[in-house]
Amino acid sequence: MNGMAAVGPRGVLCTWVFALATSGGGVALAQTGGFDPARLLAPSSDTWPTFHGDYSGQRHSRLTQITPDNVRTLTLAWAFQTDAEDAIKATPILVDGILYVTTPDNLWAIDARSGREIWHYQHPPNNAFHIGHRGAAVYGNSVFLTTPDTHLLALDRFTGAVQWNVEIVDSSRGYWSTNAPLVIRNHVIVGVSGDFDNLPGVLRAFDPATGRPQWTFYSTPPAGTPGSISGGATGGQMWTTGTFDPDLNTLYVGTGNPTPVLNGGARPGDNRWTCSIVALNPDTGELKWGFQVSPHDTHDWDASEVPVLVDANVGGKARKLLLQASRNGYYVVLDRATGQSVLTTPFATTNWALGVGADGRPIPNPAKEPARDGRLVAPDEGGATNYRSPSFAAESGLFVVSAADAYGLYFFKPEYGRYGWAGADYTVASRGELRALDFATGQVRWRHDLHGRAASAGVLTTASGLTFTGDAGNSALALRTSDGTTLWHTGIGRVANSPITYELDGRQYVVIGGGSAVYAFALPEP
Amino acid sequence: MFSSVPVGLAQNVSATSPAAQPLPRSASTQTYAPDLVAAGRTRFAAACGFCHGPEATGGSSGPDLTRSAVVAADEHGDRIGALVRTGRATAGMPAFPALSDADLAAIAAFIHEQKTKAEAETGDRRSVEPEDLVTGNARAGRRYFATACASCHSADGDLAGVASRYEGLDLLRNMLYPRGPRPTATATVTTRDGATVTGTLAYRDEFTIALTTAAGEYRSWPVDRVRLEIRDPLQAHFEQLGRYTDATMHDVLAYLQTLRQDTAR
Repeated sequence: MNGMAAVGPRGVLCTWVFALATSGGGVALAQTGGFDPARLLAPSSDTWPTFHGDYSGQRHSRLTQITPDNVRTLTLAWAFQTDAEDAIKATPILVDGILYVTTPDNLWAIDARSGREIWHYQHPPNNAFHIGHRGAAVYGNSVFLTTPDTHLLALDRFTGAVQWNVEIVDSSRGYWSTNAPLVIRNHVIVGVSGDFDNLPGVLRAFDPATGRPQWTFYSTPPAGTPGSISGGATGGQMWTTGTFDPDLNTLYVGTGNPTPVLNGGARPGDNRWTCSIVALNPDTGELKWGFQVSPHDTHDWDASEVPVLVDANVGGKARKLLLQASRNGYYVVLDRATGQSVLTTPFATTNWALGVGADGRPIPNPAKEPARDGRLVAPDEGGATNYRSPSFAAESGLFVVSAADAYGLYFFKPEYGRYGWAGADYTVASRGELRALDFATGQVRWRHDLHGRAASAGVLTTASGLTFTGDAGNSALALRTSDGTTLWHTGIGRVANSPITYELDGRQYVVIGGGSAVYAFALPEP
Repeated sequence: MFSSVPVGLAQNVSATSPAAQPLPRSASTQTYAPDLVAAGRTRFAAACGFCHGPEATGGSSGPDLTRSAVVAADEHGDRIGALVRTGRATAGMPAFPALSDADLAAIAAFIHEQKTKAEAETGDRRSVEPEDLVTGNARAGRRYFATACASCHSADGDLAGVASRYEGLDLLRNMLYPRGPRPTATATVTTRDGATVTGTLAYRDEFTIALTTAAGEYRSWPVDRVRLEIRDPLQAHFEQLGRYTDATMHDVLAYLQTLRQDTAR
């Protein structure tokens, strides 16, 4: 690989940056029209143009047509049935009246006014993991799709014709991808997954016009890299979609667990930058800072949850903050300019840490590392939350997250070896609750029983004071954000994605996945 | 910040750990064409591998299929096929209704091939052996049981011979949070006209409650139209999970391991 080494400003991590001229993506757009990524800086309410709705990750809409007073009349506008086995786990993307919905190997373009299929792209059958897919991204006249066999495809937004198809990494080594790409200016930024092999954590940027690679960030170096800061760990995959602060020109991404997963002895030390939030320059992939939410993780607690960006007055001082409710059970607040800790406090049952250090990082209890006779650990592998998106309700300052109190059993013995999972673990019990945290203190303001195991639905809040999500059964829910009271519900099958909302022709829609279908709800037409 | 690091448990385990617990043996000798097994590996990896592991030897949410009684009893997919098509909702396994007969045959062939390999293996597999789990102190466990568990359970009542019914990891997991057969929650529903119906809890979420009556009938009500009284024995198990230390958990397990059929009164 024709890379050059670059050292981050804190002098702690090497990234391999491909020396490439920046392509003239803006020039191409001016010539051909299409979706200008500058629109992502202030998305209009008739779009949901990127995974989180905008760059902040707040998943909070300004729309107010649907209110706590009228939401009980919400009715089905249309449904789109994929007729596929896979549940809808993706956030639909809406641009120019067309919704883009994905499952592994599949992308549908749907008329957002009627739910009618415009076109359907199906990727050729492949052997990689088909665990789920998080969504697409748009730029110009292209819509981007990652595939289980770790390709990145650009399709024509209006026909589904393949414009280009590049390999992100070699999937035969054990990588797969579920990732919803993030477009920042003329970069399409994509991540991959891989827990069953000892693989370096890879995030890559491609030119949206040509598919040419621009840079690669490694959260952990390739196995055998001398002087590695990861302590011999591989992993730290960046499989969820990051957030972006245009003023600081900084991309924030959560990194996954180290490998070997349960064998901590094979990789002594903190294992940077696994289970971390990393701040990157989106033009070069260079690391600005990192914050490790789970140092030396031995429980598969990816810090992949959404790094939510919030500007707020804290203690009389304007702060640029980053909020994450992390899989390990801790809610962390960072200064996103510096990566310094502002707050670290549990939001769910945990029993694996000895406390929180002065640097804001939980201190893992060595006695809770997986052992031959098993350790009872809270949370379980699925975590106190997971990839499902939280939402920040700006008006009330509530951070609403689908949480779980859960216990798991973790086993390790030397016979398990040093490769891939290298252990065994089992969920004992898990109970899901929607929790609303005071964003500044992390205190739980209200809880809403989801009646079962950890739910799989993400959360959407709106400026009218509504929270949309799904429970652990088969219901989509609308709650009053101020106190968590249920105002509307409907049984549409298990909700496994994060709801979105937009307004078309003066009508506000809320779109939610239920089972293998997508449902659009709106107020009755007058 | 903290004064001392809790000391890990003493590991009262022999250094060599022969696989004392044999796998359930296949009911019949079966052979499958290499092409079919190879196709099955591909289909298995894509459809089943995330939960059951790419080698079918288990993951966080799916069991090790080389140790499955269903697989041991299966011949050419006759049992695996039906289970895969319908899923096991109670165990969290989804249904795969759309898999073709050819895919199912290939997946079954691959699972059998993995089982045959596992039966020939000597170690180094990611599963938990019963002798890994004998670190506790049964006497201490008996004392702990008397204070934490005895209000619902007794060694010569419901748990008589429990260690003959479950062992190893299966016993530990059922001890922590019963998996199957689960103890049934019961409930009484009082309707607005004052009628009461009692039965075992068939379903409960925020909006719907359903009971199975003594006559075997399924009945359901909107939660907001009735009064509910639910008795769920699993609630106490969930609360107990927050009270165990690893030491007391292993002690209670050691105590339960003494409750074998031949010692039951």
